[in-house]
Amino acid sequence: MDGLAKYLLRRAADRAAVLFVALVLQFAFLRVLPYYVLGIDPSFFFMNPNLTNEQRELIRKAFGLDEPLHVQFVKYVLALFTGNLGYSFYTRRPVIAELMERLPNTVVLLGTSTVLTLIIGLTLGLLLAMKRGTKFDTTFIGVSVLINSFPTFYLGLLLLLVFGFYLGWFPLAGSVSRPPPSDPVLYIADYLWHMTLPLLTLVTAGVGGYALLSRNLFITQMGEDYIITARAKGLDERTIMVKHVLRNVLPPVITIVALALPGIVSGAVITETVFSWYGVGRWLFEASTQFDYPVVQGVLFIEILLTVVSLYIADIVIAIVDPRVRLR
Amino acid sequence: MKASFASAKGSGAFAGALGAFRTILRYRKGVFGLTVLVFFVLVAVFADVIAPHKPDEINLAEGYAVPAWFKMFPHYRDLPENVDIVAEGKGWSIRGEGLNPIVLGNTVVLTANGSKRLTVLLERSFDYPYSPPKGFYGALAYNVTVSGASGSSARIRLYLDTPSGSYLLYDSGSIAVNVSRFSTPVTFDARDASLKLALGFSLYDDLGEKLFTEKGAYKLRVIVYLNAVESGRVSVAVGRLYFRVRGLAYGLLGTDNLGADIFSNLIYGTRVSLLVGVLASVVSISLGLIVGIVAGYKGGIVDQTLMFFTDTLMFIPLIPLLVAVSVFIGKSLYLTILLIALFSWMGFARNCRAYVMSLRDRLFVEAARALGASDTYIIFKHILPQLSPIVYVTLVLNVPGAILLEASLSFLNLGDPSVPSWGRMLYNARYSGAFSRLMWWWILPPGVMITLLAMSFVLIGQALDEILNPKLRARRLS
Repeated sequence: MDGLAKYLLRRAADRAAVLFVALVLQFAFLRVLPYYVLGIDPSFFFMNPNLTNEQRELIRKAFGLDEPLHVQFVKYVLALFTGNLGYSFYTRRPVIAELMERLPNTVVLLGTSTVLTLIIGLTLGLLLAMKRGTKFDTTFIGVSVLINSFPTFYLGLLLLLVFGFYLGWFPLAGSVSRPPPSDPVLYIADYLWHMTLPLLTLVTAGVGGYALLSRNLFITQMGEDYIITARAKGLDERTIMVKHVLRNVLPPVITIVALALPGIVSGAVITETVFSWYGVGRWLFEASTQFDYPVVQGVLFIEILLTVVSLYIADIVIAIVDPRVRLR
Repeated sequence: MKASFASAKGSGAFAGALGAFRTILRYRKGVFGLTVLVFFVLVAVFADVIAPHKPDEINLAEGYAVPAWFKMFPHYRDLPENVDIVAEGKGWSIRGEGLNPIVLGNTVVLTANGSKRLTVLLERSFDYPYSPPKGFYGALAYNVTVSGASGSSARIRLYLDTPSGSYLLYDSGSIAVNVSRFSTPVTFDARDASLKLALGFSLYDDLGEKLFTEKGAYKLRVIVYLNAVESGRVSVAVGRLYFRVRGLAYGLLGTDNLGADIFSNLIYGTRVSLLVGVLASVVSISLGLIVGIVAGYKGGIVDQTLMFFTDTLMFIPLIPLLVAVSVFIGKSLYLTILLIALFSWMGFARNCRAYVMSLRDRLFVEAARALGASDTYIIFKHILPQLSPIVYVTLVLNVPGAILLEASLSFLNLGDPSVPSWGRMLYNARYSGAFSRLMWWWILPPGVMITLLAMSFVLIGQALDEILNPKLRARRLS
């Protein structure tokens, strides 16, 4: 257990470093570069051409733009970590309040899609590995090349066009009907109905890669000596698969999922925008087109935080399923 | 194929590329990918020839026009195409009493002298063989010259005579001064709200539908009133009249919301995607190569620092960052390319580093070092040539990612607005109602092009990989 604690601590430091670098990057790209290099003033929203120079200075001061950069950075990071994400320029509401409305939607969509992708991908990979070399196998590999060359947003658009506009089976936008149903059961049903297409998009886009990956892992594992031994011992196929093969395939798959996490969060921005999902990703997109600085900063921070936390969860899961990593 | 790779080591990158190119042709998917790629490159190079219009030309027909070939189907048979009428010079039939019009090239000059009133009709008939259009527009050039005693005036009116009635499209009012509308002709447009109201229709009516109600003979009629006072002289030169009924069927793929040709946009989009894909891939590979070689060759603290940054960058969600950055930093194609490259070199740097580390301690490197070769010499003469296979493969395999990323960013309206990219077409389609109009001819082609182009690079890359890197085959699957 000592090894585990040490491993988790080391990982925590790694992940905290990711967060820190991301914050520096965010600060550099959103504060330093636009204001100090390109001369775009984030306070221009509040600037009136008739203002006197003193008034302009006051506004700048209110934004903290008069202080030296390192002081600004420290204040910035402190504010982010104390949940003070400022007020939206656009709605004038606290960013954190609006974020709390939208965050659950994003987490539900991303969580469900990741879990589904994983389950379907692993199952498919197992199926392909057992039927390797057959027509089913080769066809699937061909199809997955096609899907990998397919932009995710385009897949979403096509699904929207066919199932939303042509057939009318699914809603065109939003995460619940307006007005939302009052009955909780109906509400959940309505929510799921709205979630179907975005979920389908994310799962379809992700499943091919996992299936191919796990197929190859399964094939490699199934050729190992200990499997032959297990078979010689007279174990039935099911036990071999679940107890021996799957257990050895899981760690690399989870590592791949962890590596894919930033991509999943990225993909959500686009998918949420395509389906007008009331989530954080779409908000980021809308806020950036409205030059809503506090929202962009806040959402970017939350998305990076979300990624880092999920990465750490993946670390913990790997440590549980693969005791070897604790020793590294 | 081993031989061609080995020869690449000796005779430089060009021969290596040639050898790789030759070996691609031995693989079926490589041939397929290469064929598709060559097709796209040809399209990009000859875009000016293939595309009938420049991508920024708008108002070519009515917005949301269907493809012209739809007219083969009975349901669309009567759909109007563009009807262009140009009347000038001898093209007019001129009527009017006591008058000798002078036709000079494309201009008709009408003159009245000394207390004379003249009414001249310039007519141009045309046939309209389609169902009602949505709108029309046009321009009329004229010149009024008044000389001698003041008080002389002229007035020009343009009528459209339809089978059901006569409509006043333009009235100059009484003009008693010199007016020149040759370089800036007067225009009229069916979308003009005041024109709609002046003709007695509501703001929500389409004038085209109201005026071109049936097939048949239509007539454009310019009436020139000349009123010369005593010892005064007034002269009107009527130039070119241009009149277009905006078609509802146009081009190979119809028009977008602004009446731009979708097919032309599609063709020019090839250039953007190819440019972004190749350039971003080259830049990111160069970055990855530098970081990978330095980290792998130097080792130690340099290696650890560089790999820390590589791993950290790998874990930062790319699109949210790019969304934020491209909005605040501005929209330019080359900036987009740079940003894409800046955030996509990490995987290659890691591969590269691992490979360099394995090479660093090989005998031939040690031998070179023992002979007193400098680090730069060893890197350029011994390490870099060995890396060429993975460089080629990754160079190709990184292109689709960049293409898809650029398309995604353009779809989020974060691309360069002056550049006709496929992602931008899809953005336009999504946000100007192509979906609710079920315009699949607008929505499908850009996506199909993106997919085909990305797929061609994937296939070539996979073929290359199988040929050049039998040892690294596992990497291909991630």
